[in-house]
Amino acid sequence: MRIACPYCGERSLDEFVYSGDATVKRPDFASPTAAVDFTRYVYERTNPPGEHRELWYHSAGCHAWLVVTRNVATHAISKVESARDVALGEKSQGKDAT
Amino acid sequence: MADQGLMATSAFLDWHPPTVPGLALERRETLTIASLAALKGKKDALLAAIRSTYGVDLPQRPGRVESAGLAFVWAGPDQWLAISERGQNNRDLEVELKTALAGSASVADLSDGRVILRVSGDRARDVLVKGVPVDLHPRAFRPGDVAITHASHIGVILWQVDEKPTYELAMFRSYADSLAHWLFDAAAEFASAR
Amino acid sequence: MATPHKYASNSTQPNRLNSGGLIDRSRTLHFTFDGKTYSGHPGDTLASALLANGVKLTGRSFKYHRPRGILSAGSEEPNALVELRSGKRREPNTKATMAEIYDGLSATSQNRWPSLDFDVMSVNSLLSPVFVAGFYYKTFMWPAALWEKLYEPAIRRAAGLGRASDDADPDTYEKATAFADVLIIGGGPAGLMAALAAARTNARVVLVDENAALGGRAIDDGSDIGGNPAHEWLRTVEAELARTETVRILRRTTAFGQYDGNTYGAVERVSDHLSFAANGVPRQRLWRIVAKKVVLASGATERPLVFGGNDRPGVMLAGAVRTYINRFGVVPGHRAVVFTNNDYGATTAAALKRAGAEVVALVDTRPQASEAVKRVAMDTGTKLILSGVVAGAIGGKRVTGANVRTQSGDIVRLECDLIAMSGGWNPNIQLTTHTGGKPTWNDRLHCFLAGTFPPHMTLAGAVAGEFSLAKSLSGGAAAGSAAADQTGFKAVSVIVPKADDESDAITPMWRVDNPDGKAFVDQQNDVAVTDIDLAEREGFRSVEHLKRYTTLGMATDQGRTANVNALAIMAELTGRSIPETGMTLARPPYSPVAIGAFAGHHREKSFKPTRLPPSYKWAKENGCVFVETGLWLRPSYFPRPGEKDWLETVTREVNTVRNAVGICDVSTLGKVDIQGADAAAFLDKIYMNGLKTLAIGKCRYGGMLREDGILMDDGTVARLGENHYFITTTTANAVKVVQHMEYCAQWLWPELDVQIVSATEQWAQYAVAGPKCRDLLQKVVDPKFDISDAGFPYLGVGEISVCGGIKARLFRLSFSGERAFEIGVPARYGDALMRRLMEAGKEFGVCAYGTEALGVMRIEKGHISGPELNGTTTPRDVGLGGMVSTKKDFVGHVLGNRPGLKDPERPALIGFRPVDRSQRLRSGAHFIARDAAPNASNDDGYMTSVAFSPSNGHWVGLGLLKRGPDRIGEIVRAYDPVRGGDTLVEVISPVFVDPEGGRVRG
Repeated sequence: MRIACPYCGERSLDEFVYSGDATVKRPDFASPTAAVDFTRYVYERTNPPGEHRELWYHSAGCHAWLVVTRNVATHAISKVESARDVALGEKSQGKDAT
Repeated sequence: MADQGLMATSAFLDWHPPTVPGLALERRETLTIASLAALKGKKDALLAAIRSTYGVDLPQRPGRVESAGLAFVWAGPDQWLAISERGQNNRDLEVELKTALAGSASVADLSDGRVILRVSGDRARDVLVKGVPVDLHPRAFRPGDVAITHASHIGVILWQVDEKPTYELAMFRSYADSLAHWLFDAAAEFASAR
Repeated sequence: MATPHKYASNSTQPNRLNSGGLIDRSRTLHFTFDGKTYSGHPGDTLASALLANGVKLTGRSFKYHRPRGILSAGSEEPNALVELRSGKRREPNTKATMAEIYDGLSATSQNRWPSLDFDVMSVNSLLSPVFVAGFYYKTFMWPAALWEKLYEPAIRRAAGLGRASDDADPDTYEKATAFADVLIIGGGPAGLMAALAAARTNARVVLVDENAALGGRAIDDGSDIGGNPAHEWLRTVEAELARTETVRILRRTTAFGQYDGNTYGAVERVSDHLSFAANGVPRQRLWRIVAKKVVLASGATERPLVFGGNDRPGVMLAGAVRTYINRFGVVPGHRAVVFTNNDYGATTAAALKRAGAEVVALVDTRPQASEAVKRVAMDTGTKLILSGVVAGAIGGKRVTGANVRTQSGDIVRLECDLIAMSGGWNPNIQLTTHTGGKPTWNDRLHCFLAGTFPPHMTLAGAVAGEFSLAKSLSGGAAAGSAAADQTGFKAVSVIVPKADDESDAITPMWRVDNPDGKAFVDQQNDVAVTDIDLAEREGFRSVEHLKRYTTLGMATDQGRTANVNALAIMAELTGRSIPETGMTLARPPYSPVAIGAFAGHHREKSFKPTRLPPSYKWAKENGCVFVETGLWLRPSYFPRPGEKDWLETVTREVNTVRNAVGICDVSTLGKVDIQGADAAAFLDKIYMNGLKTLAIGKCRYGGMLREDGILMDDGTVARLGENHYFITTTTANAVKVVQHMEYCAQWLWPELDVQIVSATEQWAQYAVAGPKCRDLLQKVVDPKFDISDAGFPYLGVGEISVCGGIKARLFRLSFSGERAFEIGVPARYGDALMRRLMEAGKEFGVCAYGTEALGVMRIEKGHISGPELNGTTTPRDVGLGGMVSTKKDFVGHVLGNRPGLKDPERPALIGFRPVDRSQRLRSGAHFIARDAAPNASNDDGYMTSVAFSPSNGHWVGLGLLKRGPDRIGEIVRAYDPVRGGDTLVEVISPVFVDPEGGRVRG
């Protein structure tokens, strides 16, 4: 498999480390439901066929964390984004909403 | 006794390059190297400071620029290595850049953390393809291009200097002998004395 | 090819033609087979040279030890497997059809005893009714215990292929990566046209072919291209490709696997055709090829026909017969029967005649002669037997005749020494299925074609079902142009040379009814039609069951000549269509690949990189014993003359530190430089303890948790400036911690202003520990820096200089429990500083100490390390519960508070010493209450770390014991059944030396 790092270009799988689901969000530690929220955040995962949003780390490259949209049935990658940009985008949207 | 100084020693403890026509291997161990990383929201200020001080633009992609013997090498998003010979005045880029970039970048001394190996000549590419998984064909990789990758499973920052072609590989110091050992083995196929 | 070849008259190679083929007759090579010397020519394979010499018997079969010869001329060969070379280089199961000869080559037949000609085990053949499918399962079922001792060794001796060398492989291998706009797999007519078409666009082209010479079936079939012999066309094509700078041709290279991301694995046999690899040249090179577009022109493999004795030496695929004639100038028989169900049989008969052989009959299973058959019969006067079959091959170690059953059912016996058979062609679509592509059955061509396959791939030539030469050439040209065009290179028109558009008509016959003798389907694994019958009767009808029950297709050739025939026979037996019966999918590798090629450079000393710490050279000069910790080679201990064992050495090193001063290279600890306006806030997120109050110029111990509340790593945090921190990690976790910090900085808290730089290798860092440490350091630290207790108290940190202005960092830290510093200098000075410190320390009795003494002293002080940071422990478990912040948000806070992790019953860190002080302790021993039975339900925890404590004069241990801190004074069993240990130990405080900590501070 090859992943197109948005910074480095297309590289082979052996430069990357997979690190799980990019759709779960770290909950608020001060919430009254924090214990349940964190248990879900750390342990509970669905495993649907088709496209997943995954976190990958370009460990042998630029050390960027990436959000990779990948079809787990075909391994086809449709999108690779900088995780920092995705996280900042989500945080600013969250602020707008509140 | 305290003021006797200390002798610098090479990171390559077992250096015995084969004689290969069209291949030159050279250790660059008299360098000063500093890492610089833009402070949050200060990238433009950093670019401006480098431009006004050194007259070059920091590369925004995996690239390398050079100005009067000082090279800036892309080392990740918003990070660079600054590299220069220490020279007779014992240049220290950590000190120099901390002053020049105060308020726009954090700077750390990496003069000893990384060692640099220069690989050049007609055979350079034939040897490097045996461990570097990046396309180094002139259509894909040019002087001024940079790749952070691995060579024989050892992490390197690699860049091309000129059309000879000359490449340089920066690796963590402790890997120097292992990387050199691989390079010698990879080059042996082309050695002149069979 | 108009004039018949003549046999070379005075040659020792009786079957060698005196002209034709791609061999170099001007040079003669000598080789041995089973000890006998033969000759051949450059360009020969072992198979072609043996055939030239009239050798037909090349081995014995796997199960029945039947005599076997050469079936094919390519990598599909199931029978002619030999042991090549000798001694350390002995390689079993080498296909004689792929091994090129060189002067001095030695090959040995396999699977026979005492000799190929007389094989005792061929008695198995008489027992063949016994050795049916599932034989082993049925026969050796009981008693199961006998499997290991009796059955399996006996079976393995009797059945089996060649012997691998027991020695380490003396050859070298390497790996390389290539990139291409267009990768072309197969250098036959389609592949060569594709290469020409793509190369002319200026695209970067890589062409791989598994043979030594290109040309594929155009050469093998002795075809004409553009009105001239194919080898002339080949010469001009090769010359043009060689001139084109953007083309790389890899001969002797098998593309063996297709992987995700347009990536292909290929193995180049760089030196296998030579008597030995030249100095520095690898035996084989493993290529990883990344291509934008791929033209698969991998050709097709001919199917054997399934009749009695179809495995006899002298029964050969028709295509192979033509390859030997046209590529190698060898005619493999003088009197041939050609047996076919398609039009390739007729052209083969013609080729045999042209080569001077007599064709006794063309036996065609079809009732009517096709145009091609009629033409050949008329032109050559060959006897034609329509609606006929070869029921059985006659002969033992070589074919002497064929029993032909005619349309009327009569058996006609024909004398012959060669049966050339053609059962049709299977396109070599394996690479299309490696990432999940599914083949489809074609009812006209009667073979599987690629169905679904990756979009970057185009098929051309026989693999695409374009069996004629004319179609291969035009299909190849079109595919090459299109592939280049799709990668952004403008197609240039290519003139396709004229060639025959041969008929591909076929009427399948999957097996001959009532065969005269055993009819084999998988020749390498000795699976016959009767085995498939049996599998069907016993209910193993699915392809996957058939395969596992009969072992069909599971030999080293992956059933390349067997699978489709077997599938079709099962379809017939079950009355289903072939697609209904199933299909055979291939996995990589297409052909076996030596393990050495996958390892490449990375074996023995280079298996993985070795990291050398800054004092390595000095340590080596001083007799140090090293230990691998991760990739690092760290000093373990420094034996001195007269010391009888490691324990004496380590005890001396510990005593020196406790009483004088010692030096230890701690450069391998991970070091990370952290800067930014939010550096403090960031560290507060990743450490469990509060760091906000850490003053500039001070350092503090810190622990990191995983989000699930388990300890991840520990180390020190030093504050060098307002927004500047320098942290250390354990040696083992350095990479993991940086990854975690980047994760936190980029993904969890991207709004923070923090910059992370790994600085592990920048600093050579030495622990200088013991009561005399300051006296020693005073001698190297520049005088303007005050390192007295007042000026540099415990947990102080400072940027200083040493030896006259060399920048350095000094940390007042102790892992040993003694007064100690860690001093860091830029790594290039590491070697010199070590030598200077040792010289300066002589007057204080200094010694260097390694990881063993370090470990002893940390255990004596109750400090945790790897065995306690083992991925199951919480801060509370290891006595650090009090450090954990209850206020701030940090990774692991919430889940660390789960009741299960705070259960007082959880094993917690405590110290141990043997009740009988002379006894030794062992880590891994389990704690059992003194009077309890030693079983799992009474397990109270386990010993994590032990050491002989020189300071106490007896062994001490750290361990995780249920309610450990509440049980001080209790005596428990340290039970170690694996090593026969059962020791009574006393639970005591885990700090065995200086519990008040006065030595560290004062």
